[in-house]
Amino acid sequence: MSDTPYDSPHVPRIDSTGDDPTDDHPIREAPIREAPIRTAKALGFEPDELDGHTIEELSDYLDRDGQPVDPAIESSPDALLALAALRRLRDLSGSLIEADARAEPPRDDSWISGILANISIEARAGRDIPISHTSPTARLSITEGAVRGLIRAAGDSVEGVLVGRCRLEGDVTIADTPIAVTLEVAVLWGEQIPETTARLRSAVYSQLLRHTELRIASIDITVTDVQFSRAADDALVVGPDEESE
Amino acid sequence: MDADDRTLAGRASDGDVRAFEVLIRRYGPYMRAYSTRVLGSTDEVDDVVQESFITAWQQLPQLADLTAVKSWLMRIVSHKCIDRIRARRPHADIDDHEPHADDGESPPRRAEAMDRERALEAALAALPEQQRQSWLLREMSGLSYDEIAEELGVPASTVRGFLVRARKSLIRDMEGWR
Repeated sequence: MSDTPYDSPHVPRIDSTGDDPTDDHPIREAPIREAPIRTAKALGFEPDELDGHTIEELSDYLDRDGQPVDPAIESSPDALLALAALRRLRDLSGSLIEADARAEPPRDDSWISGILANISIEARAGRDIPISHTSPTARLSITEGAVRGLIRAAGDSVEGVLVGRCRLEGDVTIADTPIAVTLEVAVLWGEQIPETTARLRSAVYSQLLRHTELRIASIDITVTDVQFSRAADDALVVGPDEESE
Repeated sequence: MDADDRTLAGRASDGDVRAFEVLIRRYGPYMRAYSTRVLGSTDEVDDVVQESFITAWQQLPQLADLTAVKSWLMRIVSHKCIDRIRARRPHADIDDHEPHADDGESPPRRAEAMDRERALEAALAALPEQQRQSWLLREMSGLSYDEIAEELGVPASTVRGFLVRARKSLIRDMEGWR
């Protein structure tokens, strides 16, 4: 099940926050072994069985990953026993929803198109950006949303980069106002970031020049992620019926 | 497939439907799995998750921290689930949702034959409804005590009580399995 052709190389994601911070925590080394659990007296839940600690207190301690270290808890075998049980429960909860999610049958396209049919692009139109016209009676404009679309398209034409959020700063509704374009981008691992962003900047600039009358004062690019796999771009061009499996 | 959440959420926030679709495919299964657990059935799950994504699309431009899109989505779907439960409560006979206390056969004994997840599943199903909901909202959705209290319409101290009881029951059932 692991090696579908669509699987990306198993490389860690740089922005991953999923690491378990408790992994090398001292309380892992609590002197708890598998064996006594079943044979020893039943796990106690009441303060008099937990050296005065409560399950609630121990849950909170677990929630904050045992920081700051509480010597009273760490020195109580009964409290540590309960803490270990709480931790196993928490770990298992995570794996339960993972397993549930994996077991979910892939949704048919009608389910997804049911969502997409109910969302509105107009909601993202933003401000109207004027475009001049030779006829004094004509009033032309392009929406901010359309301009963002142009910028994304320009970005997607540049190898090794994926444009995220983009902003037009300055009053775009008044012609000739200097506008700062700010882009957040993910760059493919291995790309030369200065060269890639320079190519992106010029692609965006030439598209804006061609299709709008904005006076671009600057194009500021922030690299917010480094992508490890080519699949990053592919994901956005995968057709509805080309999903893996 | 590995485009990061922040980039995808940024694009979707700016109006890129394809990026939003990638988020739907990425997190839809979690949201469905979660809803199935909370609602206790699959009848309403399709609708609940669809509604959640529609809400997410509307509210995405207001999401300040785009890297937190997953937990934000989980929060939306939690909220929708609770709405459903509230709506059905006047009609549902509360006794139907109470566990059957068949003490004759100990849950741990039965659990031994199951794998770990199935054992937790059984232990969860045996919890009273509000305890189960509190626990799911806390452990699977990552909501704070206050947020759970707001969702369930009870004081935060009550939520703490639910969670303590839920954890005790679950541990009691699960530890037998070990």
